[in-house]
Amino acid sequence: MAFALPVVVFIISLNIGSYPISPRMLFKVILSVFSPSSQPGLPAALKDIVFQIRLPRLLLAVAVGATLSVSGASLQALFKNPLVNEYILGISSGSAFGAAVSLVFLGKGFPPQIVAFVFGIAAVLAVLIIARTSGSHIVALLLTGIIVSAFFSALLALVEFFASPYALQALFYWLMGNMSLATWRDLALSTPLMAVGVILLIMLRWRMNVLSMSDQEAKAMGISVRREKILIIVACTLATAAATAVTGIIGWIGLVVPHLVRMVVGVDNRRVIPLSASLGASFLLAADALARSLASFEIPLGIFTSLIGIPFFLFLLKKSRRVWL
Amino acid sequence: MIWKIPTTTRAHSIGRVFLLALLAIFSSVLLKAARGGIPEEKASFKVRDDLGREVSIPQRVARVISLQPEASRILVALGCADNLVGFDYFLNKYDPLFPRLCPRSQNLPVVAYPDASVNLEHVIRLNPDLIIASPYDTHVPDSLQQKTGIPVVAVSSLGRVEKLLEEIRLIGRVMGRSERAAELIAFFQETTARVSRAAGAVAPEHRPRVYLCFWSSLVRTPVIYEPVTIAGGRNVAQDLAGNHSVSDRTVVSVEQVVRWDPDIILVHGNYSPSQRAVTVDDVLGDKRLRSIKAVRDKRVFYTFGFWSWWDPAEVLIETLYLAKVFHPALFQNLDLVKEGNAIYKKVYGIEHGYSILCQSIQCDEWLKD
Amino acid sequence: MSVSVRGLSYARGNFRLRIDSLEFESGRLTSIVGPNGAGKTTLLMCLGGLLAVPRNRIFIQGRDIASLKDAERARLVSSVPQEHNPIFNYSVLDFVVMGRAAHLSLFSLPSAEDVRLAEESLAFVGLQSFASRPYFELSSGERRLILIARALAQRADVLLLDEPTSFLDPKHEIEILELTRKLAVERGQTILLTLHNLDMAIKYSDSLVFMKNGGVFASGRPRDILSDALLESVYDVRMKIVDCEGQKLILR
Repeated sequence: MAFALPVVVFIISLNIGSYPISPRMLFKVILSVFSPSSQPGLPAALKDIVFQIRLPRLLLAVAVGATLSVSGASLQALFKNPLVNEYILGISSGSAFGAAVSLVFLGKGFPPQIVAFVFGIAAVLAVLIIARTSGSHIVALLLTGIIVSAFFSALLALVEFFASPYALQALFYWLMGNMSLATWRDLALSTPLMAVGVILLIMLRWRMNVLSMSDQEAKAMGISVRREKILIIVACTLATAAATAVTGIIGWIGLVVPHLVRMVVGVDNRRVIPLSASLGASFLLAADALARSLASFEIPLGIFTSLIGIPFFLFLLKKSRRVWL
Repeated sequence: MIWKIPTTTRAHSIGRVFLLALLAIFSSVLLKAARGGIPEEKASFKVRDDLGREVSIPQRVARVISLQPEASRILVALGCADNLVGFDYFLNKYDPLFPRLCPRSQNLPVVAYPDASVNLEHVIRLNPDLIIASPYDTHVPDSLQQKTGIPVVAVSSLGRVEKLLEEIRLIGRVMGRSERAAELIAFFQETTARVSRAAGAVAPEHRPRVYLCFWSSLVRTPVIYEPVTIAGGRNVAQDLAGNHSVSDRTVVSVEQVVRWDPDIILVHGNYSPSQRAVTVDDVLGDKRLRSIKAVRDKRVFYTFGFWSWWDPAEVLIETLYLAKVFHPALFQNLDLVKEGNAIYKKVYGIEHGYSILCQSIQCDEWLKD
Repeated sequence: MSVSVRGLSYARGNFRLRIDSLEFESGRLTSIVGPNGAGKTTLLMCLGGLLAVPRNRIFIQGRDIASLKDAERARLVSSVPQEHNPIFNYSVLDFVVMGRAAHLSLFSLPSAEDVRLAEESLAFVGLQSFASRPYFELSSGERRLILIARALAQRADVLLLDEPTSFLDPKHEIEILELTRKLAVERGQTILLTLHNLDMAIKYSDSLVFMKNGGVFASGRPRDILSDALLESVYDVRMKIVDCEGQKLILR
């Protein structure tokens, strides 16, 4: 079931787009890759649409959706707080600032993804180092995360104020979160890191159960709490920063998807983590498909995930009488 | 219960009077500020701006603040550069041509900033008779007028040449330069008529379908951009025009562009080359676009585009330029440098205006093979 | 000796714990008693490795716990906390299985054997039918038992319990103490408890350790060290020990 859902949504999404391609046509196009000679006379545009435009975009949606959900779920367990999301340690503010710096000071030649990634990591490092003096306790991490986020947001506002209109234009679009311009290059840059992060977190999923107990209890049970906490944070950070650098800030996924999963299968992370990856990928695929098919223009994805995620979540919250948390 | 006034000492009563006086002064100040209207005796004629607001404008407008770069340029073109007492950050910092058009702008105060905020106190201090704003932020003109008590008119062209001419007419009337305005409008219409007459000879099916990628992005495009139409082309994004009343732009998807399969792609060129986020080479080399006719035929060019709204002289030049791009054979004798400089001379009275523009955005290279 | 303490000095804020020498017999149940603030919980936390102590102070099964890694130490000593504030509503079995963490490497999942051991621990505390119940549905007495089951699943030689009977009604209080007694007798585990209830401490313990002001006041078998005078010195309150139907009661 976990694998089936994203695959199904993927196939459906592949059929969606401004350029009308019937499912039969689509099938022919895919076949043509494996045996070019079998499909002569296929318009070149179709192949490019499917393989250069839709495919990288969908794959990116799968990777990013899985990454953000798994990171959110892991951090919720780690911080023993269901309100935590994947950006809690400052990644979003750091990345946004990095993108702004790159677009404003490094200009056209430099892809903003790199600096965005660097500053996303830098923000979390800052949080870890600062909170270390307070023993890396959960509350210290949370508070420091909030402060570092606020700091980078302020810096971002400053950069925006002094930025030229051209840089602002490019930045504005990046900040809203979108996958409309996803290319194979973007995928190649970011997917390895996302994959490493997600796989690592999936491997640590039972450990998260124990870590969701108080630090003292976890230690008593034989976990090197600080080490494993940092390992999880590093995995989340690398993956999330890689995702954010490429697609901008797409909110709500890391908060809503894990909760939805827990409502259905309970809180055992052995199931929550992998299923969050699956549902997250499907969710983002669906949101992206809707964002580009509902209107003649593209609704920014970040707005879309909130518009779908929040009401749906509220609805399920009301309906479910079971205490899942 | 009888409200008994307690006996007080003399100091108390003085204090009380003082407080009452303070209160009276304070309330009258508040009332005056809240009134926000113009004293009836100065009102003269009413105009209707782009947001449908009816604004009363005084008979004589001597001091103008323009928050709208297009309007600022029009003011200069109308010979009202001396009436400008405050303008926006864009013309101050990012427009290489404006200091030449209006040398005294170097010393003009900037009252509007990149985040669309306006320095209200400074505006009031400058004591303008009129403020011209952009209709893009729909709530700003009203709030500005209310807070400062100065009439605010919101105008822009939004990609339509007719509206640009209306704007020139309106500002001309307000500033008492209707003659000059008429002169400019006539010149404008003459020039565009030259183009549309010649381009009109081309049969509809031979008119190129054009996609404009503006604003540093492959997928942001202006829905209405009339110079394209005047020059005998067809903006593919026009199909989406029904959805957009105030907004002149939209965001599409790469797939949509491929679907449109335009004959020509025009890239927003009104930036210095190092600032261009999307270049002609980018478009020609993008794998996703390679099936498009424009890319295959290598008919991808820069064009001027908006430059924080329009510059009337530049729009005229753009129309001529696009005519050359769309119908090279028909307009091969058109000398852009000569015509461009002539246009700048006519509109702003400066020499070599077009050559100066070429220095910053290198538009003279755009049609070289 | 299962647990020995030598020259331990631990300071936290104004409070100072000082113990020159203390031994706990293996396979026995020892209760640590004393007035509030005497340092009972602090001592327990030091013994469990939850507070950082220098080397050569605390030895369990002859091994210096300060030199052990967390997992190694957890295989020697397990702790049952007094308070547990659950955020996530795990099933009882999932909860108890967590106790196997010390035996699992970083990326491992609990095996069938781990689950069996967890179920066995659950059966030992008498709650085998509760395996799939959600934690939030349990009463406080049942929750205490589950915490103990989790510590049992850890299969450590030494079990430390901090105030295991606080806030429990008499029935559950007895249930838990009987259980710990059973652990010591049947499984030969070394059990250390902190208790407030002196009567119960005396009834169930093989040894008593009286603490006061951060130090050990007296330690030994109840029949050897108990006296009215001792109690008064420790608690600063007049007390009298009486025998009643074979059980010692403290009148105060």
